[in-house]
Amino acid sequence: MLNVRIENDILIVQPNIERLDASVAVGFKEKMADLIKRGHSMIILNLSVVEFIDSSGLGSIVSSLKTIGRNGDLVLCGINRNIMSMFKLTRMDRVFRIFSSEGEAISLLSK
Amino acid sequence: MHVKQIKMIIDSDFKNVPLISTVINRLCALTPFSGVKAFQIELCVIESIHNAIKHAYGNEPDHAVEVNFALHPNRLTFEICDTGKTIDSKYLPKKGVPSFEFDPDDLDNLPEGGMGLSIINEIMDQVVYTTADGINKLTLTKFFNANATKR
Repeated sequence: MLNVRIENDILIVQPNIERLDASVAVGFKEKMADLIKRGHSMIILNLSVVEFIDSSGLGSIVSSLKTIGRNGDLVLCGINRNIMSMFKLTRMDRVFRIFSSEGEAISLLSK
Repeated sequence: MHVKQIKMIIDSDFKNVPLISTVINRLCALTPFSGVKAFQIELCVIESIHNAIKHAYGNEPDHAVEVNFALHPNRLTFEICDTGKTIDSKYLPKKGVPSFEFDPDDLDNLPEGGMGLSIINEIMDQVVYTTADGINKLTLTKFFNANATKR
């Protein structure tokens, strides 16, 4: 479900699924929690493969942000226009830092 | 007035839901809605089906979720029907009442769940929930003309 790698001490997580929805949200949340428990506190979630997110998928991303807490950050990139509309509609675009590319996210988080 | 309709029935298993997604995508191609709007309509129907599976049927398989699509001259409607537990009306968001009124900086109180019905309410022009003869029906309406009467 997740491709992960580390760059500049930042964990980059890229779901390799097209739908982050109710059928996979619990599994995604658990996998993210496991990664965070292992000490990863700066995470880029690259959603470029994901074409559809529902409220369960969105909730699992929010849960991951809360699990990291205030001592780290979970930022997003690779969000398509459709999913971006959902972030704006739910006002979650005010919660997450959203970058247009993974490179931009790495560059800004590395400072 | 000529109305085109299609009825779909799936088993209450999440793995079947993407099939409906595919159909809705194609059905929206028959309407003025495309791109982001078509995605948002698809999202509303999927949220409704997920609610039926999760809340009406308690995540149990082997129950029917029926989706009826109707293409009218000025709007499209979806009816999502189940024969499971009825939604308590207190959980149905009211049109015109703002949703998503959380503080984006209050990390501990960010919503993780319960957003589905609010998303539906924001996107669709009309959302009506009825129960009769053991059938729960959520009817979603989207007018082609954004200025059409909404309520």
